[in-house]
Amino acid sequence: MKNTIYVGNTQQFNAFLLFYIVVAAQIGVGIHGFQRVLYEDAKQDAWISLVLSFVFAHIVVTVMMKTLDMFESNDLYGIHLDIFGKYFGTTLNCIYCLYPLFAFIAIVINYIEVINTWVFPYLSPNFLCLTILIITIYAFTGGLRIIVGLCFFSFFFILWIPPILIIPLKYSDWNFLLPILDNELKDIAKGVLSMTFTIIGFEIINVIYPFVKEKDKYKRYVHLGLLFTFLLYLAILLISLTFFSGGQLSKTIWATLTLFSIIRLPFIERVEIITICVWLIIILPNLCLFMWSAYRGIIRMKVISPVKFSVFFAIIIFIANILFYKRSTINIYDKYYGRVAFFIVFIYPFILFLLAWIKKKFRKIKTAGEHNNEN
Amino acid sequence: MFNKKKQDKEKNENKDQENKEQQQNEEKPKHEPISPDKNQFLLDVKQKLHSPSDFIVRFVSDNMTLVYVDNLVDNKMLNEIILTQLHEVEEIPEAIHLKLSIPEVDVVNELNKFIGDMLQGAAIVHVNGYDQVVVAKISAYQSRGLSAPENESQVIGSQVGFNENLSTNISLIRRYITNPNLCNEKFVLGKQTKTSLSVLYIHGIAIEEYINTVKQRITDLEIEDLIDSSVLAELIDDNSRSIFPQMLLTERPDRFCDGLLSGKIGIIVNGSSMGILCPYSFIEFFQSREDQNLRWPIASFIRLLRFFAILISIFLTPIYVASLTFHYEVIPQPLLVPLSESRAIVPFPPIIEALILELIIELLREAGAKLPTKVGQTIGIVGGIVIGTAAVEAGITSNILIIIVALGALSSFTTPNYMMGNVIRIIRFPIILLAGFWGYYGVMIAVCILFIHLLRLTTLGAPYMAPFYPPRFKQWPNSIIRFPITFIQRQAVNSRNKKNDSEQSGKKVSK
Amino acid sequence: MKIKNFIIVLICIIILTGCAESRILERISITTLLGYDLEEENKVTTTVTVRQVSPDDKSSVETQTNTEDTSFGTRIKVDLQTAKKVMAGQLRVILVGNELAKSGIEQPLQRNMMNSEISNSIYFAIADGTAKEIIEGEYEHITDIGQHVYNLIHHNVESQHSVSPTLHEIVRNDYSPFRDNAIPIIKKNDQVISIKGLALFQKSKMVGELSSTDTFYVIMLRDKFESGALELTLPGNTLSSTQDKDNKLEVGINSIRSNRSLKLVDASTIEFDINVEIKCRLVELHSNENTGEPEVTKKLEKAIAAEIEKELARVIKITQEKNSDIFGFGDVYHASVRHSGLTEEKWYEMYPNAKMNPKVKVEILRNGIFE
Repeated sequence: MKNTIYVGNTQQFNAFLLFYIVVAAQIGVGIHGFQRVLYEDAKQDAWISLVLSFVFAHIVVTVMMKTLDMFESNDLYGIHLDIFGKYFGTTLNCIYCLYPLFAFIAIVINYIEVINTWVFPYLSPNFLCLTILIITIYAFTGGLRIIVGLCFFSFFFILWIPPILIIPLKYSDWNFLLPILDNELKDIAKGVLSMTFTIIGFEIINVIYPFVKEKDKYKRYVHLGLLFTFLLYLAILLISLTFFSGGQLSKTIWATLTLFSIIRLPFIERVEIITICVWLIIILPNLCLFMWSAYRGIIRMKVISPVKFSVFFAIIIFIANILFYKRSTINIYDKYYGRVAFFIVFIYPFILFLLAWIKKKFRKIKTAGEHNNEN
Repeated sequence: MFNKKKQDKEKNENKDQENKEQQQNEEKPKHEPISPDKNQFLLDVKQKLHSPSDFIVRFVSDNMTLVYVDNLVDNKMLNEIILTQLHEVEEIPEAIHLKLSIPEVDVVNELNKFIGDMLQGAAIVHVNGYDQVVVAKISAYQSRGLSAPENESQVIGSQVGFNENLSTNISLIRRYITNPNLCNEKFVLGKQTKTSLSVLYIHGIAIEEYINTVKQRITDLEIEDLIDSSVLAELIDDNSRSIFPQMLLTERPDRFCDGLLSGKIGIIVNGSSMGILCPYSFIEFFQSREDQNLRWPIASFIRLLRFFAILISIFLTPIYVASLTFHYEVIPQPLLVPLSESRAIVPFPPIIEALILELIIELLREAGAKLPTKVGQTIGIVGGIVIGTAAVEAGITSNILIIIVALGALSSFTTPNYMMGNVIRIIRFPIILLAGFWGYYGVMIAVCILFIHLLRLTTLGAPYMAPFYPPRFKQWPNSIIRFPITFIQRQAVNSRNKKNDSEQSGKKVSK
Repeated sequence: MKIKNFIIVLICIIILTGCAESRILERISITTLLGYDLEEENKVTTTVTVRQVSPDDKSSVETQTNTEDTSFGTRIKVDLQTAKKVMAGQLRVILVGNELAKSGIEQPLQRNMMNSEISNSIYFAIADGTAKEIIEGEYEHITDIGQHVYNLIHHNVESQHSVSPTLHEIVRNDYSPFRDNAIPIIKKNDQVISIKGLALFQKSKMVGELSSTDTFYVIMLRDKFESGALELTLPGNTLSSTQDKDNKLEVGINSIRSNRSLKLVDASTIEFDINVEIKCRLVELHSNENTGEPEVTKKLEKAIAAEIEKELARVIKITQEKNSDIFGFGDVYHASVRHSGLTEEKWYEMYPNAKMNPKVKVEILRNGIFE
């Protein structure tokens, strides 16, 4: 197979770290307020949408991994080149490189907005953007090992959330979940669509695949990672649905944070303010992974040093941040980004799988034909 | 960083075996013969040494000349053995070599070589008409007696520390580890000082890769002088610009041997009472040798307390500053009133207040460390109490901050390693600044940068954050608490005998 | 190296440009209590208690009143009157005057929910009379009225003497179409501030009141009891028929743990079964009967159950008369009937005619140390 990446043993990481990578890539800013969007579509059955979207995600991931397994030690960019040839493949790679860029922008602008609304109303978004970018560049230039390490550590910064959810549990009223399946299936399906923004991130395996050491057992860790985020999201969603009444939820922009604001610990009040600040370390691996996956694509076209690339990347993000800093523009951005992401993450893998499969069949016939000719 | 590492690796492969020969080659300047003529010989030597006043020449007989540097040789041996035996011997260097009944005698035919020996305490016998000299090594080394380690004192455990003599230190280690596998390789560093140092490891336990890296790094050094092992440690660190030490400096032979036994590599430098141990990961800096000597629940408690102390020491003052400057909402109601009332008369914002107080504490500490022990203690107490109360009464600081800062300072001293303790104290300052500018967000920036930095660091190419990352879950419990000794595998972090899976290097794509 | 220099310059720029606005604790005034009252021409009077710290080591509490169209307007005005900037991050209680409550609490709620400064765990209460009266009153023993009112509500909520009125719950009920608010009423009696009872709401307008003794039954129907206390007057012939009928038997029970379940038994006639299970401890009984006897206990349990049932029915009746569904029967109806198409208006038509069957089961677990 052409275009295979040769990854040295030292650059590879153990398969079980994929669990942390998938979790870190999925949990980002979406978790702050996904309940509202979901509720608007599916009402009290929002959790069914969530379950469905994760079932869908598992299927997509399986297809992705099937595609990757067809091409030994190769990432999505290599597969593109392999299937579509040099020119069309490169064009596709260019387009696909934009996706992590958009994802990066989405995370940065949403996070900055949360900080500006909750913690520092007067702090300039440009400043916040700069600090985030500098930290990201610092981590990114350390190489994949550092990024994976960050994923691993950020996981432990998420772990305190489930126990703390017990406190709002005492305000919850399970009647709000009833009656189950009272909404039309169409609405629930719409809910699946709105989950996109929150659920994506696992597509990182498309790019990170060649760096996994044990290729035979990496699948279970990807699924486990998805399962973990699923359980976390489900817990948050169920508690939010029972904690808020419908009308209230559809007016609460960041339901998770509002949920946290009821928590009052003996040594700290207003847990949400701490949460927002701690979230920096949770979005950081997310950002690094996106930057890295864009870098993997770019390096196929032009050999460029990571430092140069990251500065260039950062400049684009900074400009984008200046363009979208208002609540209204962010909303529009999120909406369109969600749609694009839905296509790229949920639809495109099927197309790619089909093409790869056909190509493979075709190649087999061809080689078989050549074989016959020789005889 | 990147480049240096790469070079290391490449060179490693080439030069594994010939390290020693190569080093000797490098040490040899151009060959200078020894003059057979007595007077010419003396002239040559005097010229080399720039006629020092402690250079002593004794004519034993007409043909034989004895030269040495005063105070470097053992006078008793010189008088009782060498001088008496020289009178009875045939005047040929080979014969003298055979005859002299002292432990180390050599015949040398090279001027620079024997001058080097002479400066290390050898007596030289020159026989007229021969271009060879006999070198009798009878050095008398003035050294301090063994005393208790003062900087790393511990309650339970041996009370002996290294001194400044290389051979004494090595003998101390050999007393702990009576094992033929304990390897000792000698190096000489420094163009001016010619300091000798020993690389120690236990063959079969220490990982070959690390041994080679250490030897490689030492032989690659081209330095003018080497006075102390801490300088060497900084020179051969993976990232010498980092604030974090990546090698342990210890004056405790038991800790040193503990390290050797768990697969680490030790370096001892002549003239320095601190041994270097490497590779040393971040978490190991916070483990004390004493943990092994206490019962495991107690040791575990103390170890956890230490980790907690580090967190307090780094983050308590920044959190105070951040909460009071930006996040008053977070302070619980019962604390709100005392906090605001204690701050009421303070004219500065919290960040200035905290910085002033932290600086005062650092001043006190530095003054206490520089003064003689007895005075130092008094100054510490008097300074602490007087300045503390006066500052509160004068309204420069609030009394709650005094408690916090004192707590932070106290906590930083629980770190069992002095170098790491320094780091803990210093990194507080940038974090306070960040907290004062951007509150919790600033603190989080600091946390992120700290995490990334620690992740980027390596120690002899092995990950610094091991065993946490790359995760080796089996080693976690014993790193955080201390397990009962029967459960402990005698293997430290970063020294498993497998290929290390965490080398960082640039990513290459080959098409 | 060039890039390193660039980063250093960048960091300098950041430090010079991006300083967050500081809110140093002792240089701001902290609001702890906020009161809203209705004025003429739909204007709102806002009264705040502001805690300030002065250099002589004492914190002073003062109140400020202003009338403006929006509360933000009053905030600016208050800023003009205080030496330090007023911040609402430590707000503990919001009081709404009676008049304003009657005309609707939607506006003050909305206002405070939009403000991210304000936590939604603060309390929201109705003032008997005007909020201004309570806040500005002169109290001999109370230094910080905000703190005092907060503690008053807090400990009563903890010991389940009062319905929990956190801002979150009020907003939740307000935005929920099939459920109404019941908010404690705070009353000033000369020097004493007390919880007078519950204000009943229809949508976001106050329509009636319940007395503080009825609060017990409201909590019993809305929630679980973890630890409640109740004093009951049973008919005199409960334990022995020989006793005079006119005599009354006073009974005190505490450590009440109750569990309730609301069940819609008939959707067409709107009939609800309310099952309440109570476990309690007998602490007071003005009788010479031996309560250790199972017979006596059983009789007592029955009598208490009957009494509570009666009371529950009465309280529910009141809410039905006022058409204020504070127990969330609407939610139960909505949850049990599929595709009901229930709207808020429909429910308000249905609720007063709903039939409620309270059934209470009492179990006396212990009876103190002296029989």
